[in-house]
Amino acid sequence: MKTLLHRIRIHRTRLAALFTLLALGLAAGDAAAVPSFARQTGQDCVACHIGAYGPQLTPYGIRFKLGAYTDSDGKDGKVPLSAMLLGGFTHTAKGQAEAPTDRTGTNNNLVLDQASLFVAGRANDYIGAFLQSTYTGADNTFALDNADVRMARTLDYGGTDVTVGLSVHNTPGMQDPFNTLPAWRFPYVSSSVAPEPVAAPLFDGGLEQHVTGLSAYTFINDSVYAELGTYRALPAGALDTLGLGRDSYPGKLDRSTAYWRLAYFQDLKKSAFSAGVFGFDTGIDPSGDGSGLSDGYRDLGIDAHYQFLGTREHIATVNASYIREHQSRDATFAAGGADNRSGQLNEFNLNASYTYDQTWGFTAGRFMIQGSRDATLYGDGSASGSPDSAGYVLQADWTPWGKEGSWNSPWANLRVGLQYTMYDRFNGARHNYDGNGSDASDNDTLYLFLWTSF
Amino acid sequence: MPKQRFSSVAAAGAAVLLVLAGAAAHAAGDPRRGADVFATECAECHSVKAGKDKKGPSLFAVLGRPSAANPDFVYSDAMRTSGIVWTAERLDAYVTAPKRVMPGGKMKYDGLADAAERADLLAFLAAQH
Ligand code: HEC
Repeated sequence: MKTLLHRIRIHRTRLAALFTLLALGLAAGDAAAVPSFARQTGQDCVACHIGAYGPQLTPYGIRFKLGAYTDSDGKDGKVPLSAMLLGGFTHTAKGQAEAPTDRTGTNNNLVLDQASLFVAGRANDYIGAFLQSTYTGADNTFALDNADVRMARTLDYGGTDVTVGLSVHNTPGMQDPFNTLPAWRFPYVSSSVAPEPVAAPLFDGGLEQHVTGLSAYTFINDSVYAELGTYRALPAGALDTLGLGRDSYPGKLDRSTAYWRLAYFQDLKKSAFSAGVFGFDTGIDPSGDGSGLSDGYRDLGIDAHYQFLGTREHIATVNASYIREHQSRDATFAAGGADNRSGQLNEFNLNASYTYDQTWGFTAGRFMIQGSRDATLYGDGSASGSPDSAGYVLQADWTPWGKEGSWNSPWANLRVGLQYTMYDRFNGARHNYDGNGSDASDNDTLYLFLWTSF
Repeated sequence: MPKQRFSSVAAAGAAVLLVLAGAAAHAAGDPRRGADVFATECAECHSVKAGKDKKGPSLFAVLGRPSAANPDFVYSDAMRTSGIVWTAERLDAYVTAPKRVMPGGKMKYDGLADAAERADLLAFLAAQH
């Protein structure tokens, strides 16, 4: 349930101020996100994104990303800058026990979830970047968010295109071109002030923005995708400089930290699909100096997606992924943070969407987290020590622009959506999961959002 | 059951006739169906609105036009020096196998193998002027 887009909270007055700025920007007709990619390529948002709004990629968008964001219409003078605002109203079935931040109440919060600036575009024919920094109102910070700089070349081997590339990025999995891995999967946005389950595999957001990864990939004949990479934790000082906070240092990552990925993809024009496997393996030494014990994580996943594209009037997609995580918790156990030296945590995600006329979108998703009990590790929130959570996410959205001939294209895009998250299990139980009488469904969340980029 | 066998033969015959009729319609090219082919195969890179360039140049009134005739679009050298005029035959050949007709060109499209779909597509493009 962690998405990349849920870090930021801003008070109402700031919300108003930023929306005013946005309105001014639009009125000037001059705002430049990532419409900056649209401006660079001469393409409309729909070319790369299902339903005319990021981040769900079409086959064209998949190729653009793997081509290192370098494709262009051949004209100079494009400024690779974009901005994005995400704000919304969050209502939970029951008020939360404590207000999620000191600037919000326990329920019915209107907040600016995210205000981002992007440098997104090409440096030359082979190098391109997607860099996001995000303003957080709740703690009044400006921090580096998603960052991906890549270099790619496409070679022709007797008529077969072989793309080879390198990516330097700061969240494991964000470099993947499919919307099945945690970094870019549905729900693509979620409230920053809603309750969240206590557990998720490490690969699902556990290290986001706190590492530097280097991976090499190849995309052969538009069909076979393979990647190999490794990660290092950013030092505490660097995290501080980037606005993420010294205290968020995850510990030292083992030298053998590895990420691997293999996927098969087909673009049949009327439809497209992929199926793949991936793995993430690391040891984390919380002491940070390599002297202490480590916690080991071994994540193994499978994923698949299908898109019916047709004439693009009716688009349907299905995305699925399953991750099995094996944890060996030597460090946490020794420090008294867990009762068991090892454990299992598995995550299943499935969602299906329908988009009409690249404008009206409906998505239904199922998520399930299941793992072995540990009363100490999961004790903060789960009375039974079980990390199990499960539920559904339903979303309806409206994206009026981003298409050929749209108002202000390629300068602005907008999505308005209504999202409903329902839990049938939360932190181990349906009823009284925390020992204080809370039910899973108390956390059911209605999120009405306005998301714009320019 | 002979009666049933007969009806299945009739059904098969009718199906063959329908397919033949369909093929005949295709040979002429149906611009309405061609609009769908265009939406599926070309529209992410091309518009048929005059002056609207995307990744590829506007295909408004492309039939009969010399190649690389759009002054606002940055063509590949191969396209600029090809000397091709987009007659129905040349366009059909290009859409079938872009890389073969235009080595060194920059249209990243694998080609449309289905002749009937190409006929519909050409009928649609012929109507854009
Ligand atoms: C991936 C993007 C892409 C797709 C899909 C695509 N094209 Fe193109 N097209 C281009 C580009 C880029 C050029 C310029 C080629 C060059 O300069 O070598 C081009 C050029 C052309 C030209 C020459 C225009 C002129 O002014 O000389 C024609 C005709 C054409 N495309 C037709 C089509 C048709 C028909 C389809 C669908 C069956 C199609 N294209 C699909 C990108 C695309």
